[in-house]
Amino acid sequence: MAQISVCPYCGTGCQIVVPEKDEPFSVSGYKGSPVNNGKLCIKGYTGLNYSFSKERLTYPLFNENGNFIRISWEDAIGLAANKLLKIREEFGPDSVAFQSSAKCTNEENYLMQKMARVFGTNNIDHCARSCHSPTALGLINTLGTGAATGSIKSLEGTNTFFIIGSNTTEQHPIIGSKIISEVKKGKKLIVADPRKIKLAELADIHMQFRPGTDVALLNSLMFVIVKEKLYDKEFIDSRTEGFNELREEVIKYDPIITSEITGVEPELVYEAARTYATNRPSAIFYAMGITQHIHGTENVMNVSNLALITGNLGKYGSGIFPLRGQNNVQGSSDMGALAEFYPGYIRWDSDKIKKFAKLWNSTLPKKKGLTLSEMFDKAADGEIKAIYLMGENPLITEANIARVEEGIDNLEFFIVQDIFMTLTAAKADLVLPAASSLEKEGTFTNTERRIQRIFPIYKPPGEAKPDWWIINKIGSRMNLWKEYSGPEEIFNEIREAIYNYSGATYENIYPVGKQWPINKENPDGTEILHTRSFPLGKGKLVPIKFNPPSESVDGEYDLIMTTGRNYFHWHSGTMTRLSQILEREAPEPYIEINSEDANERKIRNGQLVNVKSRHGEIRIRAKVTNLVPKGIVFIPFHYKESRVNLLVGENLDPISKIPEFKVVAVKVMP
Amino acid sequence: MTTIMNSFKPHEKRIARKIKETTDIFTIEIDMESNSYPGQFYELSILGIGEAPISAASSSSEKLKFTIRSIGHVTSKIFEQDVIGVRGPYGNYWPFKEYDRILAIAGGIGIPPIRALIHELEGKKDLWVIYGARTPSDLVYKYEFDQWRNKANLILTVDRGDESWNGKVGLVTKYIPEIPDLKNMAAFLIGPPIMMENSVKDLLKYGLQPENIFLSLERRMECGFGVCGHCNVGHFYVCEDGPIFRYSEVSNLPELFL
Amino acid sequence: MIYSLNAEEMAQLYERISKEFETYGTVDIEGDLTFSRIESHDELRIGRSDKPPKEFLIGRNENVLVFTEPNKKAVFGVMSCDLKGFYIMDKQIYGKDPFYTARRDNTVFINYVCTEPCETGFCSSFGGPLLNDYQIQVINYENDKYLIYADDAYKSFFEGFKQASKEEISKVEKLMHNFNMKQKKHEVEGIENRIKWNSKLWDEYAKICIQCGACNYSCPTCYCFDLNDVGEERIREWDSCILAGFTKTSAGNPRESLASRLRQRFYHKFVYYKKSKGEYLCTGCNRCTDDCPVDIEIKEVIDHDYNNE
Repeated sequence: MAQISVCPYCGTGCQIVVPEKDEPFSVSGYKGSPVNNGKLCIKGYTGLNYSFSKERLTYPLFNENGNFIRISWEDAIGLAANKLLKIREEFGPDSVAFQSSAKCTNEENYLMQKMARVFGTNNIDHCARSCHSPTALGLINTLGTGAATGSIKSLEGTNTFFIIGSNTTEQHPIIGSKIISEVKKGKKLIVADPRKIKLAELADIHMQFRPGTDVALLNSLMFVIVKEKLYDKEFIDSRTEGFNELREEVIKYDPIITSEITGVEPELVYEAARTYATNRPSAIFYAMGITQHIHGTENVMNVSNLALITGNLGKYGSGIFPLRGQNNVQGSSDMGALAEFYPGYIRWDSDKIKKFAKLWNSTLPKKKGLTLSEMFDKAADGEIKAIYLMGENPLITEANIARVEEGIDNLEFFIVQDIFMTLTAAKADLVLPAASSLEKEGTFTNTERRIQRIFPIYKPPGEAKPDWWIINKIGSRMNLWKEYSGPEEIFNEIREAIYNYSGATYENIYPVGKQWPINKENPDGTEILHTRSFPLGKGKLVPIKFNPPSESVDGEYDLIMTTGRNYFHWHSGTMTRLSQILEREAPEPYIEINSEDANERKIRNGQLVNVKSRHGEIRIRAKVTNLVPKGIVFIPFHYKESRVNLLVGENLDPISKIPEFKVVAVKVMP
Repeated sequence: MTTIMNSFKPHEKRIARKIKETTDIFTIEIDMESNSYPGQFYELSILGIGEAPISAASSSSEKLKFTIRSIGHVTSKIFEQDVIGVRGPYGNYWPFKEYDRILAIAGGIGIPPIRALIHELEGKKDLWVIYGARTPSDLVYKYEFDQWRNKANLILTVDRGDESWNGKVGLVTKYIPEIPDLKNMAAFLIGPPIMMENSVKDLLKYGLQPENIFLSLERRMECGFGVCGHCNVGHFYVCEDGPIFRYSEVSNLPELFL
Repeated sequence: MIYSLNAEEMAQLYERISKEFETYGTVDIEGDLTFSRIESHDELRIGRSDKPPKEFLIGRNENVLVFTEPNKKAVFGVMSCDLKGFYIMDKQIYGKDPFYTARRDNTVFINYVCTEPCETGFCSSFGGPLLNDYQIQVINYENDKYLIYADDAYKSFFEGFKQASKEEISKVEKLMHNFNMKQKKHEVEGIENRIKWNSKLWDEYAKICIQCGACNYSCPTCYCFDLNDVGEERIREWDSCILAGFTKTSAGNPRESLASRLRQRFYHKFVYYKKSKGEYLCTGCNRCTDDCPVDIEIKEVIDHDYNNE
């Protein structure tokens, strides 16, 4: 019988119909899903072949002097447990770091963070750090919840779509196409992006602003709203606090003045502000363009300010939509696989963690945990001795790769659990073969907070095992817990741990998932958040002052590079580059460079060029295009042959510790 | 039980001889009778890497020969193989049987099917050949030119000469006026689309009839026998209805010279 | 031959067929209908499947270097608009593609004729759901009453069953007449002469198309595939002409713009195939539009007034 599952790529979480094993493998969209209504993007249609690739890891491997030799699961689990315990004994629990995966299920992420904390450390983190950690911190601060406030279906009620820092039709294609469908009906579209993305071509207003100037742009929009009294006074008075302080800050950002900073014509700012504030309900969509900056958290809070003062929260069709990248990054964050948060976003240093001590029957760590970049830093410094990493490829996806590599090389023990021998896995001491999303049971939570189920439709190749099974065994071998019987048992513990998940059961989230909060008050889940009040009562308005990004151009490094993604490939490419059609469409690394900049440097389309930043250098082929404006270059990070993150420095947002991938000064030479 | 031949499955054949023609062009001879006529093509393959459609450079009476530019992930590896997969011949061939007087114009790596034509006709027809390459070092089959001059009237030209070059310089179209009694000839054209487009313009100016001008078109070809859908130009499939097309039948196709 | 059966006899027919063929049919997956191996007639749910039964003939992902004789299969519950696609595709690929040909010869499709127009389809613009070419065509025209149009090749399955009477046949014809009247007609005749190369439509579509490939993958008449070597296998995979790589060669790409590729798809459907094979490469099933995330309407391509742009 065919089975309904969830696509493992982006945070949209399209539901797919997958034939049973032994039948020809062909995926189609599940028409009964409120997420995608049966539609899929090219990655859904052609990108799932990787699960059947002969390159899949099939048995545990131990690295003996540079050679990987096969070992049994018994030995692998024993080795992992014993080594970690030994290092803990010698150097203390904080000498070990755990790295979870936004691609793995809620059950697996929950177990991983539990493992870290019962083991004795808050050193648990994962790639959400590099993408939406500002969302978690920023929105929890201002609204009380760090997640999309509406549903994909509710977009039918939106009148103005404001996209800032998201190339939605390429990164969340089914959400992007939903926006297009609505715009076709006459709804308004405002796009703020340095590049001429596809949505910009359809937009009523395109603000092509300079990378790193989001605060100034958002403040100038609020200037107009304040000056022309377009704000929702009733909403501000009854549901927010701090308006006066916010007003005092934003009135300094006259669009005529800020155009010097952002490069955006004042008329566009006026039009955008008026449309967003009056043609309601309005919804804001944002992604890495807002978050991957040293001011990422501030950017997010400013987005929240804009929505709050215009009353664009709590009503059907309005809201803030942080477009979560990975298929389960919302879930992995909800599960607390983050250094500063326990499951349900309870702060590591708050009183409320007492309940976990009880639930897990364990003492809890007292020290602040390290975030992702910090883990590699401290590994390079010798303070972190061991890392247990699941489902991530930091040698391609992290900032300042050279430092990451230094850190990994300096570890005493490095465990990598993955489905392929990635660049990162090749450096491990112990490689554990995992099952893909078509081969295990569990749940994913998509960007609309919808908890959806996946099923073991195919058998994992060789001796590969679901991640939950592996963590379960290692954790029990370390006496951290009694072995769980299966994912449902773990999920039931999650329901106890997180009140917002408590009403979900494996039964009631199938075939269609439910959006959290799902609990006693909301037994059927919650489509729209903040309809009557915010979790902290009133929404907090936080005045943000503009400060420039971490890097700027100078005589030598005279172009600004912003990293990103393309439609056909996914992150480090370990899955999509095994699909023949996707690889054909985007077979090699490239740098997008404006024709004027190319001419000045005598660079022809297709020519190999050197790209150098203050942190590293790569060689890559030039794609001359006017999608990027003069002064900006763009490089996607999918290609291990030319790892753009070698160029990205470790300039971190002090609050969320996210690196500034989006603003790197470079020079480009033939 | 039907005995259906699997048309996707190639025959593995030895490469009997390899000749390096230029820095990036080479010729291989296969130990197999060529049962193709000039203009037809084969799909050559290396298992694990892929397939490439290559025109036959040999006449029907020679051993199978291909001249290949090393440019893609398959063609760049063929020269180092001992055995390659061969399937074909596919497509149609130059309609040389219909005409007594033929002008063949070949640009760059388009020359192999014209070489095949020269050796097929064996001097039995009034054949004129204009062959142009970018520079003298890009000319292939240099070692056969004298042989060719016995079978056809040969005009060689390059876009750019060098110190060693004493021959003609200029685009192939420059030498069309030198061909006597042009309007009573058939023209067989093969080369970059822009070269064919300009040649057609000039030939029509000199009174050649559109039904006597033939083009060899190139598109992405995979199956070679009309089922994968990639190689269409208008309602034609280059692998089945071509690669040789009569200009009068394709002249109004907007995608012709792309 | 046309037979008249009741529901019980339909179940018997299934039993007879299942003795000789591996049986498949549309089954319910949480509200979606999808083709699956079935073991009994009870599992069958009649309705439009989530995708056309193309995989039964053209493998979605398969190694073309190894050809094995296919099993004999019977596929129940095929919609007429999907079945018609095979007859149209036959003109181009039957006899040439060994896999398609062998499977076509060894598979019997049992199509069920819709008695009421569906929500979005427009098959009546191509002749309606009662087909002239079929293997075993079923129409449930009244409660417990089935008329079966069966090709003589399958007459052994119908031994002992009644032949349809004149009244019954005329009832069905009347039903089909009403069907064609009810469903909105789109004037497809002559589209190959009306459609314009430089129409504004192509750029308009290119602005919104996200290149998902759904139109190709869900179409019962799209047959294009890509060939790639993976290890020791040469894998054919369904392709989409909407993608830039579809026509890419080392010499360049004749269809660089998305607009030209979208135009190519519609020209292939309504101009090129008509010219080379005499038939439109479309059955009016509307799946391309139903599955398109941005609702590009194939009906618009047919109805558009190209002269007044």
